[in-house]
Amino acid sequence: MTSVATNSYLTFSLGEEKFAVPVDCVQEVVELEQVTKVPHAPEYMLGIINLRGKVLPLLDTRLKLGLSKTVPTRKSRVLVINLGWEEKHFQLGALVDTAREVVEFTAGDIHSAQQIENYKAGAPITGFVNRQGDITLIMEASRIFTTADIIQLEHSAHINHSTHS
Amino acid sequence: MDSNQKRFVADVLDLLNELDEGLLQLESNPQVRAPLEQVFRTMHTIKGGANMFGFTTIGELAHHLEGLYDLVRQGKMQVTDKLMSITLQAFDKVRDLLKEKDIAKINGSNALQEYILAAKQYHVDDNPLLANTTSSGQKDELVTFLLTITPTIKLTPDGNHPLLFIIEDIAALGTSRSLMRLQPSGDVQQWLAFIATTSPQPELESYFLFVENECQVEYDRLTTGSLFELPEFSGFLDQVVNDSLNKEKLEALIKLHLERQKQQASMDIESDKDVVERKKSSGNDSYIKVNKHKVDDLLNWISELIILQAQLTTTAATVQINTLTEVAEQLEIVTDRLRDTALEIGLVPIETLVTKFKRLVRDLSKQLDKKVNFLSEGADTEMDKDVIEMMTEPMIHIIRNAIDHGIESPSQRKEAGKTEHGTVKLKAFNSSSYVNIIISDDGKGISKDAVLKKAVEKGIVQADADLTEDEILELIFHPGLSTATQVSSVSGRGVGMDVVKEKIDELRGAVTVKSHLGKGTSIHIKLPLTRSMVEGMLVKVASTRYVVPLHVIDRIDRIAYQDLLREDKVDQMVVVNEHPLHVLSLRKFFKEEAEVPKTSDIISMHINGVRKGIAVDKIEGKIQTVMKPLGEAYRQQDFISGSTILGNGSLALVIDPFRLTF
Repeated sequence: MTSVATNSYLTFSLGEEKFAVPVDCVQEVVELEQVTKVPHAPEYMLGIINLRGKVLPLLDTRLKLGLSKTVPTRKSRVLVINLGWEEKHFQLGALVDTAREVVEFTAGDIHSAQQIENYKAGAPITGFVNRQGDITLIMEASRIFTTADIIQLEHSAHINHSTHS
Repeated sequence: MDSNQKRFVADVLDLLNELDEGLLQLESNPQVRAPLEQVFRTMHTIKGGANMFGFTTIGELAHHLEGLYDLVRQGKMQVTDKLMSITLQAFDKVRDLLKEKDIAKINGSNALQEYILAAKQYHVDDNPLLANTTSSGQKDELVTFLLTITPTIKLTPDGNHPLLFIIEDIAALGTSRSLMRLQPSGDVQQWLAFIATTSPQPELESYFLFVENECQVEYDRLTTGSLFELPEFSGFLDQVVNDSLNKEKLEALIKLHLERQKQQASMDIESDKDVVERKKSSGNDSYIKVNKHKVDDLLNWISELIILQAQLTTTAATVQINTLTEVAEQLEIVTDRLRDTALEIGLVPIETLVTKFKRLVRDLSKQLDKKVNFLSEGADTEMDKDVIEMMTEPMIHIIRNAIDHGIESPSQRKEAGKTEHGTVKLKAFNSSSYVNIIISDDGKGISKDAVLKKAVEKGIVQADADLTEDEILELIFHPGLSTATQVSSVSGRGVGMDVVKEKIDELRGAVTVKSHLGKGTSIHIKLPLTRSMVEGMLVKVASTRYVVPLHVIDRIDRIAYQDLLREDKVDQMVVVNEHPLHVLSLRKFFKEEAEVPKTSDIISMHINGVRKGIAVDKIEGKIQTVMKPLGEAYRQQDFISGSTILGNGSLALVIDPFRLTF
């Protein structure tokens, strides 16, 4: 966990819970505009959005983390996240209830997620920060899609993958 | 390999294409100086680069072969079949070797040794024999002519008069450029044709024999050598287009040319600088190499600009300020042009393909003991580089079929009353946003009866099926039929044509085949200019918009939505235009329940030779747009080939009808 030391994090909330992602992987935060649904996709994939001429897939972060489906409000924001994935890079929009602020955490602030009850190895939550009872969960962007998801995505594809992407 | 070495490999691969082209020209025209010089220079460049960047065996090979061609240049040796074969095969090996990423392996490989030895041997064997030939004395001299052709009849440049073709034929005799002047009425006033050729003047005159009464031709023998080698010459020609011919300037250029020729003769030809210099001057345009990512970036920014511009237009319309509207309109024109120009940047001429095919035809006809001429037309037609790469294999396949199964053996051709030489022709041209490629041969054609018989045997069609001739020919693309090896000997076509079709479909293109028994076959491929451009029908299903590619659409009919509801399945038979059609309801397929419409539009399509339909809520119109991939997160949605941004900034999904399985 040394690599996390003295890094900046962007915090956001999903319902009552507070989360943080390393600020390096967040390109920008934009307001939620029109979403175009893509048929036959997993439920947590909300569709695609137009980010100034770039087409980004939009993830329902709440659903992906096992919470209830996001109900968009005026405070809903999209975090534009850069993901590195097997030498491929791609961008993703992650829908959150509110985007909050950028904070600094040192390595000492962060407790390993393994102390959390029911912790699953490989889950996107890798740690938490406890500031006088104010808990912030640390999320690692690259784990948003876990190996299990990829397998599931491949399974739902009954045809081969010679796509145009 | 370091970056310099990588660049060298990329450059050599380009140079090898040039070399192939030069060698083939040299083979068909051994007396002409220009291809020989080009071959020699290219080898020299390869040698220099190979030695500099540590590709020692390649350097050695190039050195020995270069030596042989130097002797040819000096007139001490002739180009023979054997020399040509050694050279072509040797550089093929080089091409294979360069696929290897490890330089030590390239140098350690002994794949080239055989050819190095052959080149050395060739030296010893053939030199004394050929030293006493006097070929160089008989060689025609390269001369630059200026032909001034003045028609004495009324003639439009797009007309059908033989003179127009004669001028094209003359231009093909060597390096040339012909300039046309028009009268205000639109008729041709005069042509000025500059030609550097080895053909003597009487030969040039013979071309005009049959149009003597329709034109006057003046022949000016400007100078020996090719004026086109002078960098300043093309600039001069550009000026001639606008102004009248400046005789003094032309004379000055000729003087300069003669001086340079003298210098050249005294200068060491081996100097690398010289090679670079001449390479630069060999074309009228100059080129730069650009990383593809930069072009892609440019296109991305332009897409953003187009969207912003559309927003501006909408805003201008709402606030109704005249000056703003004007600016928005101007901006629209400029962005459209910018988009077109940027799209063109990514396009390259199909010339490299043509060279590859020439080579293929040469090798294959020798191998099969057939006599085949390869003609190409429109090699300067431009296409997206990715598309060219994807189309190379399928087209090689078509040409191979044409030679293997289409063109008959010389004796068979004689019996059939044809010339011994068969012809395979590649013609490329643009039409709107498509590139057309027609590959034709004058061979024995496809036997429709044999194809039909085979298809019935295989159970692909019913024995009593009533098929048109075109429908029967379409069958050669059917996977069930074309993998059957037996067909190739019966019908003359068939192996792997389904793969050809598949590739073309993937590129959203179309392919049709025409064939006359005994006369030949022609295959017409139509491809979109770039992979990212889509021409399609914008449709709506519930609140989502989709684009259906235009090239698969046959017709559109509107039916009552109730007619689609009879069954609970997503697909069913619907009677459209008095015929039953297998229709997939996108609404049901995509599980859309909101906004139930009163009517439904049925799009009839032809997919892999089968008629199918999809039902959408409403057709909104035709659009042409740039397609963007959906990305990794939607890899499994392969019935959606991408998305596109509409003028108002919203998105539409592009449907790939070939992957909509139902």
